[in-house]
Amino acid sequence: MKKISLASVLLLIAALMLSSVSLAAEPIKFGAVNPLGDITGFQTTRAMELAVKEINEAGGLLGRPVELIVVDDEMRPEIGAAAIDRLATVDNVDFFVGGMGSGVHLAQVPALKKYEKITVWMGAASHQVEIAMGPDADWYFHLHPWDYQQGASYGQGWTDIANAHPEIGASRIFLAYEEGAFGTDSYLAYLDLYEAAKDGEGPYGQILNDFAGASFTSALLGGGDYRAMLRQAMDFDPDLFIWAGYDADAVPMVAQAMELGFEPPLFVGAPPGWPANFGDNPLSDGVILYGMWAPALKEVSEISNHFWNEYIKMHGHEPATYFAPLGYTNIMFLAEAIKAAGTLEKDAVIEALRTIEYESPIGAVLKIEPSNIISNQGFTSQKILQYIDGEQHVIWPFEYATSEIKYPFGR
Amino acid sequence: MLAAASKKQYLFIALLVIAAIVIGFWEPHALIYGIQRGSLYAVIALPLALILGILGVLNLAHGEFLTVGMYATFVLFSRFGVDPMLSTVPVTLLLAVVGVAVYLLTIKHVLKAGHLSQLLITFGISLVISELIKSIYTTQPRGVFTTYSYSSTTLAGIRFGTYEFLYLLIAVAVLVGLQLFLKKTRLGQATFAVGQNPRGASIVGINVSFVYLFVFGLSIAIVGLASVFMVPRVSIFPGAGTPYTMKSFALTAMAGLGNLNGILLAGIALGIFEAVVNAIPGGSGWSDVVFFGVLILVIMTRAIREGRR
Repeated sequence: MKKISLASVLLLIAALMLSSVSLAAEPIKFGAVNPLGDITGFQTTRAMELAVKEINEAGGLLGRPVELIVVDDEMRPEIGAAAIDRLATVDNVDFFVGGMGSGVHLAQVPALKKYEKITVWMGAASHQVEIAMGPDADWYFHLHPWDYQQGASYGQGWTDIANAHPEIGASRIFLAYEEGAFGTDSYLAYLDLYEAAKDGEGPYGQILNDFAGASFTSALLGGGDYRAMLRQAMDFDPDLFIWAGYDADAVPMVAQAMELGFEPPLFVGAPPGWPANFGDNPLSDGVILYGMWAPALKEVSEISNHFWNEYIKMHGHEPATYFAPLGYTNIMFLAEAIKAAGTLEKDAVIEALRTIEYESPIGAVLKIEPSNIISNQGFTSQKILQYIDGEQHVIWPFEYATSEIKYPFGR
Repeated sequence: MLAAASKKQYLFIALLVIAAIVIGFWEPHALIYGIQRGSLYAVIALPLALILGILGVLNLAHGEFLTVGMYATFVLFSRFGVDPMLSTVPVTLLLAVVGVAVYLLTIKHVLKAGHLSQLLITFGISLVISELIKSIYTTQPRGVFTTYSYSSTTLAGIRFGTYEFLYLLIAVAVLVGLQLFLKKTRLGQATFAVGQNPRGASIVGINVSFVYLFVFGLSIAIVGLASVFMVPRVSIFPGAGTPYTMKSFALTAMAGLGNLNGILLAGIALGIFEAVVNAIPGGSGWSDVVFFGVLILVIMTRAIREGRR
């Protein structure tokens, strides 16, 4: 009896030891570089933590747990570049993930090229990054649509909307752009699109007849008085008024337009992020925006609904920008590829990343295709969204639409 | 240090009025926007000028105190539903307390340490305030929307917003209040004396330390007052007040140290310049160039004239 008991105990210990192998195993390290002081980076990190938690609760990857190591880039290029070095040499991460701003990422490109680790980067939309990365980095995967892809997708969106709703026109477009690099690049891109549209070509070829633009100083840079620019827009009388500035411009822009009595049929804002609770402002109703995701997607997408609920459950606040589901996608996509590869061997994981498809909470299926320069580009289009009754809704692409477009604006 | 209106000032007023009439005929909106914005610049610059004139400290955290006032107004609005106009008294008082505390903890200890130390400490204060706000509220902008702040009227076929004329009223009220304080009250006269000659003031029994404390607290309170009236028209974020430090310093330098009346005039003049440049298609990017270009021109002209004397 005593011998049987001893054998049982030994067996039990052995079983426990075997079952805890995955927990005791060396973790697979994902090294993220995010701006933690900014809402985008803060929520991205929280979403990444959710993804890692779900992966580990499901047994990890290849029998090993996943560890997320996050370094704050403070939105400063030199710190972002140093973070890559630190993650590679001190933390010995297996993969690089994360990232927001193009300026920071441009500074990181040389360091990434030095280590040539598999990198699945979620942010940085500037085509300058693509130029800097070049065509030979087969280990580099970029998820966010490039700026030129975004412009093309908006043109496609407005063409589809105009075709579906003949009363909606976008033949006269006025672009208000902040005078920094972000806004000026947008203006130059629109000028190119307009030149192509004159010959009936490009994404706006079927709809755009006339285009004008005016710059303004963003509130973020000490401006915030848009009235002179808005008066120029009023004189142009556009079908579609679009402003390319920052979140700090959003409320004063709409409010000053109201003050002047400027109510274009389509009022579009294209900042990288929106102010907290913009939807609560009565002026937001009918404002159109570009983005990759809207909370309302949870009504039409199961994975979006899962992400929304689990994020709130884990962190106690709602995801506010599309960077949160994009951060979750970033980790999950890489994890799915590692699972599919069945190894951490570089070529196998690269091949898996190129072949798998991932249904993302962003509201699109993520699959890798070549873009203008790099061979591994993820998402290629943005969505057209609209604030309706205080909530962001998807109005295009139609397959993910959560509402009909509210038209015209402000009447 | 605090100079009275002079012949030059009247000449400047006459030129400003002529320019305003010409611009009013050419582009009336630019004139309206210029007066409104310029008045705001002036009301924010007045307290900076007061601190610089009396304490001799260039407060690089000036704009950050403005940001603190904005967030205080926002908190009262979002947590307790207090309309910004009703926040005037509590926020002004709060900023006065903040000013007094900051003075006692930091500024007081570097008054005799030289300008570099003063600049560094106020720069440090600005960073601390900014980072504290970021850590509490993140960088995402907040807003306080009230319909009255975007009300407009049409006069002679010209539609314009009316709220920002409050800035002119406040600027005049603050200016008149400061002048009355400096000339008609004992503490004001003591302040004037300290500004002229602190050592002399001390010898005749004026409590210079108290005057410094009072002036700093009063100035930051005025900043708080300005912030309350700005809040319904601006986005609130950690760097919202920062650009006003340089603009305030520019106005102070343009008006001449101690010339409080000149700050209002300089503010309106530069506000109109800025609005005219903005009204020209493609001119927006040049507004700061014009703003600081005019400043450089004025300071250089003054320096050359003084050099000839």
